[in-house]
Amino acid sequence: MKTLTVDFLFKESPNAIAIVDTKLNFINYSNQWLNNFSLNKTDITNKPFFDNIIETPQVFKNAVKNSILGKEESNLGEKFILSNGDVKWLKWKILPANNEVNGFNGAVIFLSDITIDKKEIELLHKAEEVARIGCWEIDLINGQVYWTKATKDIHEVSLDFEPNLEEGINFYKKGIHRDNISHLVSLAITEGKPFETELIIITAKGNEVWVCSKGEVEMLNGKAIRLVGTFQDIDERKKVQLAHQEISERFKITAQTAQIETWEYNIIENELKWDKEMYRIFDIEENHFSGAFEAWLSTIHPDDKERILSATQEAIEGIKDFDEEFRIKHQNGSIRHIRGLSQTIKDSNGKPIKITGANRDITELRSAEFKLARSAKSFAESFEHSAIGMALVATDGSWIKVNHSLCKSLGYSSSEFLKLTLQDITHPDDLNSDLSLLKEVTRGIRDSYQIEKRYIHKTGNLIHVILTVTSVREIDGKVSHFISQILDISDRIENEKKLNSLVDVTKSQNESLMNFAHIVSHNLRSHSTNMTMLTRFLNEEEDEDERKNLNKMFTSATESLSETIAHLNDVVQFKTGALEKLQSISVLNTINQITNSINVLLEEQNAIVKIDVSKTHFVNAVPAYLESIFLNILTNALKYSSTERTPIIEIKSKIKKDKIQITFSDNGQGIDLNRHGDKIFGMYKTFHKHKDAKGIGLFITKNQIESMNGNIYIESIVDKGTTMYIELNPG
Amino acid sequence: MKKVQICCIIDDDSIFVYGTKRIIKEVNFAESVLVYSNGQEALEGLAKISTSKEALPDVIFLDLNMPIMNGWEFLDEFKNCQNNRSKKIVIYIISSSVDPRDLERVKDYDEVDTYILKPITPDDLSKILGAKVEN
Repeated sequence: MKTLTVDFLFKESPNAIAIVDTKLNFINYSNQWLNNFSLNKTDITNKPFFDNIIETPQVFKNAVKNSILGKEESNLGEKFILSNGDVKWLKWKILPANNEVNGFNGAVIFLSDITIDKKEIELLHKAEEVARIGCWEIDLINGQVYWTKATKDIHEVSLDFEPNLEEGINFYKKGIHRDNISHLVSLAITEGKPFETELIIITAKGNEVWVCSKGEVEMLNGKAIRLVGTFQDIDERKKVQLAHQEISERFKITAQTAQIETWEYNIIENELKWDKEMYRIFDIEENHFSGAFEAWLSTIHPDDKERILSATQEAIEGIKDFDEEFRIKHQNGSIRHIRGLSQTIKDSNGKPIKITGANRDITELRSAEFKLARSAKSFAESFEHSAIGMALVATDGSWIKVNHSLCKSLGYSSSEFLKLTLQDITHPDDLNSDLSLLKEVTRGIRDSYQIEKRYIHKTGNLIHVILTVTSVREIDGKVSHFISQILDISDRIENEKKLNSLVDVTKSQNESLMNFAHIVSHNLRSHSTNMTMLTRFLNEEEDEDERKNLNKMFTSATESLSETIAHLNDVVQFKTGALEKLQSISVLNTINQITNSINVLLEEQNAIVKIDVSKTHFVNAVPAYLESIFLNILTNALKYSSTERTPIIEIKSKIKKDKIQITFSDNGQGIDLNRHGDKIFGMYKTFHKHKDAKGIGLFITKNQIESMNGNIYIESIVDKGTTMYIELNPG
Repeated sequence: MKKVQICCIIDDDSIFVYGTKRIIKEVNFAESVLVYSNGQEALEGLAKISTSKEALPDVIFLDLNMPIMNGWEFLDEFKNCQNNRSKKIVIYIISSSVDPRDLERVKDYDEVDTYILKPITPDDLSKILGAKVEN
């Protein structure tokens, strides 16, 4: 009975057991042995041991042999590579048996093939190493801490390092990391809460490593008895993640500052993701946006829609990335210019799955560009068409550009101008002041200046202008060039001159008129007061002789009065209407005529008249005046002839510039021009005792000549003679 | 009324001279009357009197508009000679001129007492005598 039970137990044992005798033949074996290690499944009792088992390593064979000799052999498990290349992990215990104790001589062999288990463990370790995940275990009852190899590697400690809880915690970086893990562990212990955390440890070698520590609690009767978890080196991943975060943050700020907004379009799911800036730029409320592609398209300006649509389509199909400028319409109707770029992301087959893009609102830029272009054009137009001469002048004085008006003013063509400098055509007297002011502008002492100056026309004439100069500066503040405005005031100057001379003429005429008035009034008064006086005397006088005397004087006074009035008429006459009676008159003829008329006078004084006048000389004159002038001068010459010599009067004529000059020279008394020069042609200014000197003759003569646009002047030496020069317009 | 000893008339208008002389007699203005027909004559005459230490006139009636040397020219010359004379000669300008410039110009000459407008009247002479008494 006992033997059957034992035999049953032995045969059904879950272990693989074999009993051999000293000759290494099978005495008995378990079924398990038969399954695991027998070559075939037949009965192998009494069969030789090594012939009926699968290949085993030499170590095992030796162990068996030793056991027959009485040695106990055991192996806790070892890896063997068999000749066929198989890997086997074997574990055995071999007990020698002797007859006395066990009832037989031989050995009992316990053999286990633990390959599968070991393989799994091996793979697990390999996985640990590769993934840099280690395992740890804290036995809370006895306080023991267990770390796998990988865990130890991560901590950079040696394989034989024996950790404890406190040491383990202290590996964590001091500060929030250590505090964090302490807190989590104690929470796990007290409340059984599992944890997962990413923290920094300082390895034994002093390196900072990011790790992911996970832990789970095993509870018994509501109390934690064991903590188990993994420990992963996530250093690389974490560093990349942190770097990425930083860049991401930076980009966000950059994008915000540059007003760039980004978007992401998931092609497969037709989902459009926008960041905040996109909503702002496209002027759409976040919750109004359906996120669909069509919604975005609807914001685009109708004129640009077609182009943008086709460009977008090309991007979606992965043909060409989006790179366009387009306009969008805001809700309030305002137009914005947008610059858009995109990049299509494809999957491993080359199929487009996602597009990321960036948009930028360049409205201000475009607007500024447009304004600039418009302003430049506007300036160019005004420059060219200005009625005032305008020029762009380089800092060295050379002409960069000139407009039409300036060319007209100064007589140079545009191309001729560009070969010149302002120094070339400025009047030398004005050059210095112009240049010094220009220098002041260059130096920044003044912004602009305005002066009157003269330019030299191509023909050599002087052109009076008002010049205004302003400077144009580069961004760095230095003068780039000058803008000159040149207002031609030549006409104005000319008119001013004419006006001034006219004013002068008027002034002198006024003066002469004043004089005339006073003189006339004086003379009239003289005679009339005399008459008044004489009348009174006549009334009182009784003596006949005296009365006769008074009457004579009275007659004389009235005669004088009449004469004065006659003179007045003469003088007034030539002031009016003379110019209408101008004719072309022969000088010679008139001279002859007058000379004949005073023949008697000439004979009286034995005067000789020499005439040297060309037949061809004609003057533009009033006949009566000319006769009167010649008569007056000739009679004067006779009147004031010298008593010491025979009067000789020479009359000559010649052409002087654009006038005919007629000279009357006599050898008479002459006039002291120093003393009386300014009185000669004056009215009633006599300086001779001559009885016929009325003081009016030359006054009238002068006025008659001048009314015919002629001149008269006199040369004389006392006691030698006098020459009268008369100039008249040729007829 | 104290009479003027010698009255001098410098004027080229003979009728006026006759008339003035007559009025002087009427009013008993002066003892004797000296006549020159223009400035030149007057200067020469007065110079002669001065050198011969004879009596110079007390009063001169001077016309402005005269030939050869007119009233202004006479005054200019006369000013220069006045310095070495001890006796003060009072000059009255008598003229038909109403030219304001002439009236202004009179003020430049200290020697000229007043400007009398022609015709001269007995009242004018009386006034002169009256003024002389006050002096």
